[in-house]
Amino acid sequence: MRSQKQPGKGREHILVCLSSSPSNERIVRTAVNMAAVFGSQLTALYVETPNGIKLSDKDVDRLNSNIRIAEEAGANIVRSHGEDIPEQIAEFARLSGITKIVIGINSGSKKRLFSKPSTTERLFKLVPGIDIHVIPDTDTYRSYHEKKKVLSRDVLPSWKDLAITFALLAAATGIGFLFQRLGFTEANIITVYLLTVLLISILTRGYICGVLSSVSSVILFNYFLTEPRLTLRAYGSGYPVTFAIMLLASVLTGTLAAKLKAQAKLSARDAFRTKLLFDTNRALQGAGDDLEILLVTASQVSKLLEVDTVVFPAEDGRLNDGLLFLTGSAECIPLDDETGTEKTAAEWAYTNKNQSGSGKQTLKKARYFYIPIRSGEYVYGVLGMGSAKGERRVSENGILQSVLGECALALENHRNAKGREEAAVIARNEKLRANLLRAISHDLRTPLTSISGNAEALLSNSDQLDEETKKSLLADIGSDAGWLEALVENLLAITRIGDGSVKLDFSDQVVEDVLSEALRHIDKKAADHNIRLDCGNEPLLARMDARLIIQVMVNLVNNAVKYTPAGSHITVSASKKEENVIISVADDGPGIPEKMKDKVFEMFFTGDNSIGDSRRSLGLGLPLCRSIAEAHNSELKLSDNAPHGCVFSFALPISEVDLNE
Amino acid sequence: MNKPLILVVEDDKPVRNLINTTLKAHEYRYIDAVNGAAAVMEAASHNPDIVLLDLGLPDMDGTEVIKSIRSWSSMPIIVISARSEDTDKIMALDAGADDYLTKPFSVGELLARIRVAQRRISSAQADAGPQSSLFTNGDLTINYAEGCAYLAGEELHLTPIEYKLLGLLAGNVGRVLTHTFITQKIWGSSRESDIASLRVFMATLRKKIESGDDRTPYIQTHIGVGYRMLRIDQQDIPMKNS
Repeated sequence: MRSQKQPGKGREHILVCLSSSPSNERIVRTAVNMAAVFGSQLTALYVETPNGIKLSDKDVDRLNSNIRIAEEAGANIVRSHGEDIPEQIAEFARLSGITKIVIGINSGSKKRLFSKPSTTERLFKLVPGIDIHVIPDTDTYRSYHEKKKVLSRDVLPSWKDLAITFALLAAATGIGFLFQRLGFTEANIITVYLLTVLLISILTRGYICGVLSSVSSVILFNYFLTEPRLTLRAYGSGYPVTFAIMLLASVLTGTLAAKLKAQAKLSARDAFRTKLLFDTNRALQGAGDDLEILLVTASQVSKLLEVDTVVFPAEDGRLNDGLLFLTGSAECIPLDDETGTEKTAAEWAYTNKNQSGSGKQTLKKARYFYIPIRSGEYVYGVLGMGSAKGERRVSENGILQSVLGECALALENHRNAKGREEAAVIARNEKLRANLLRAISHDLRTPLTSISGNAEALLSNSDQLDEETKKSLLADIGSDAGWLEALVENLLAITRIGDGSVKLDFSDQVVEDVLSEALRHIDKKAADHNIRLDCGNEPLLARMDARLIIQVMVNLVNNAVKYTPAGSHITVSASKKEENVIISVADDGPGIPEKMKDKVFEMFFTGDNSIGDSRRSLGLGLPLCRSIAEAHNSELKLSDNAPHGCVFSFALPISEVDLNE
Repeated sequence: MNKPLILVVEDDKPVRNLINTTLKAHEYRYIDAVNGAAAVMEAASHNPDIVLLDLGLPDMDGTEVIKSIRSWSSMPIIVISARSEDTDKIMALDAGADDYLTKPFSVGELLARIRVAQRRISSAQADAGPQSSLFTNGDLTINYAEGCAYLAGEELHLTPIEYKLLGLLAGNVGRVLTHTFITQKIWGSSRESDIASLRVFMATLRKKIESGDDRTPYIQTHIGVGYRMLRIDQQDIPMKNS
């Protein structure tokens, strides 16, 4: 039961009590309308009682249809069980912060042997603070309860029960004669009869035999064992009292024993359900994704009902093909559905959020019958079951509903977790983007100032400037423009991988082609460095987004050029190592100090700050390279080069290509 | 030889100015157009030797202009694209463009592309005579009659596919051929596996024909787009490309 939901002020939460009564539909609809008017949350509660076992097929259908009505109105369905219906309702209402209860008059309770106050009356006492709306049971009242009387025939004793009763009573009377002959007191004989009534109550079904035997035992005792014998009269003045007490004691014993039996049955069922739900829950927690959750549920239901189950997972608003679990098998196989009947039935269940297939009004030709797995308005998939009979048997106990509920809950949790994760990623990206924009707008000013200033100087003072000065101004413009161009390329790459929504454009590329293409795009300053490309003799193919890998290489080589003195050697190489191509950029510059190694991958970190504007950098390069490597399921590693310098490297999986000769 | 007439189609004034100034400085003759309709008209009335075409035009897609010109002329068309996405370049090349430039480009790059196009015109004029069964390009010779290729007089050991590829590239010297175009010609299909195969064959082919002493680059790789065979001109090697 949920106790965490305390409604805020003015927020209504309506509870409607479900039952199998025909008038219950009207009650549910009333509650649904009320919920709509108040704009409130609606919960439908079904309290199962030990009597619930006696529900006929028709009652179960009616109950299920009522549950569906509530479900379709967006109500939360809760099942609880216990003998005392008002107690259960009150308990739930208190814990869930219910503000209004809608209930029908339970007239059945008035017909009980011990007339208790009606459910409604007791409920008024139990939850004084909650509004209770009573919907009277009217026209359908009589016919329903007449039917119920007929239905309760299966509580009537069978011939076997009667035989047991008769035999035990005869045995008790025999023992009574024996005791009398031996001179034991009558109290012993009465105890024997009480014991017999107890045994009969335990061994037979229902109350009837117990009550019957109570009365019989008094009569038998009177007839055979008290003076005068073989008459129903008694001489002793105490006998009427003895008989009355004996009758009362045996009736009480009998009914208590019967009740105890019913309770034991109920708790055995509870234990079974608890264990099953526990198992399901554990299995569901272990499930990694939506599909796995659905498969666990299907196999669990298959185990529980001992029927074949089919699961149709929903994805992107449509159903995928069905997966079949055969009874007693833990593995699923694709469903053989040549005619498409099963899929049609499942799809109907999916779109209409209702049951379909075998044994239902809709698409009854299907081999299986289908239930949508849903929480609220969202349908996660459709579960199919081998026989409608099985569903009825178990849905009566509510276990199937509970398992499906668990499944829907797990799916919803999963979906919510995914949503939260996505939201977190979006938030992180937003923060990153904001930082980026701030850094860019700040850093763009420097080269732009230089470009526009130099151009202005050239335009207005071109006469006063000598050729040398003009050339140097033009060179500055060119170099700053080049810097902006490189920045724009990096920004484009960031927008492509940054928001995560863009799929990388993977293809199998010849590594050497990609690396030589990258070397064509490096900084003009690189002319002062010795750059070598080493790819071995064999063409190596790797799966990658070529444009992004080129960007990585351009950044790595430009970095090497920027942070090493002119004349340094830079080696770009690709080599095969096991199933990977290791791509690396090595230089023999001064290397990177140990304490800065972690920092170089941070955004906006720009090495030695003393470098100043002449070698300005946004510090985007390496973090971007690392993100791109990560997007390729790889890692950009930094290590030392011998004797000095550093090596940046990452691995890409080698792709196998079948050559079409 | 007469300096060729170049049609510049570009709607952005500074870029148009830049191109015009560059062409003027290198003594090319040029005419310009600011939109697609004008471009088609100028092309029809002046019959230029080379077209420089910007893809993002205000009135119509650059690809339409290419299709329109290609309906009556095979003049070299060099596409200029501001978008760095490969797809529109590929569409333009498949529509019949010869080459492409990505903005921002350097003046040197622009001139190099124009020279490549010029060589294509001159080689086309040279080949216009009786159908030759010999193809020569620098040290590379293909004898179509024999079905053999030679590098500096030595026979190259090519697999049938490599020979087919070489022939295809040689037949379209100076043009960038897209992956789709090549795979369609060689395998008749263009699935991803075909393109991956193509990359491997190209890599091995290049190793074979570029193994000479000077490592002359005959074949250019355009990552994500396709390949091109360059016309090797003795006075103009090695040429730096984009």
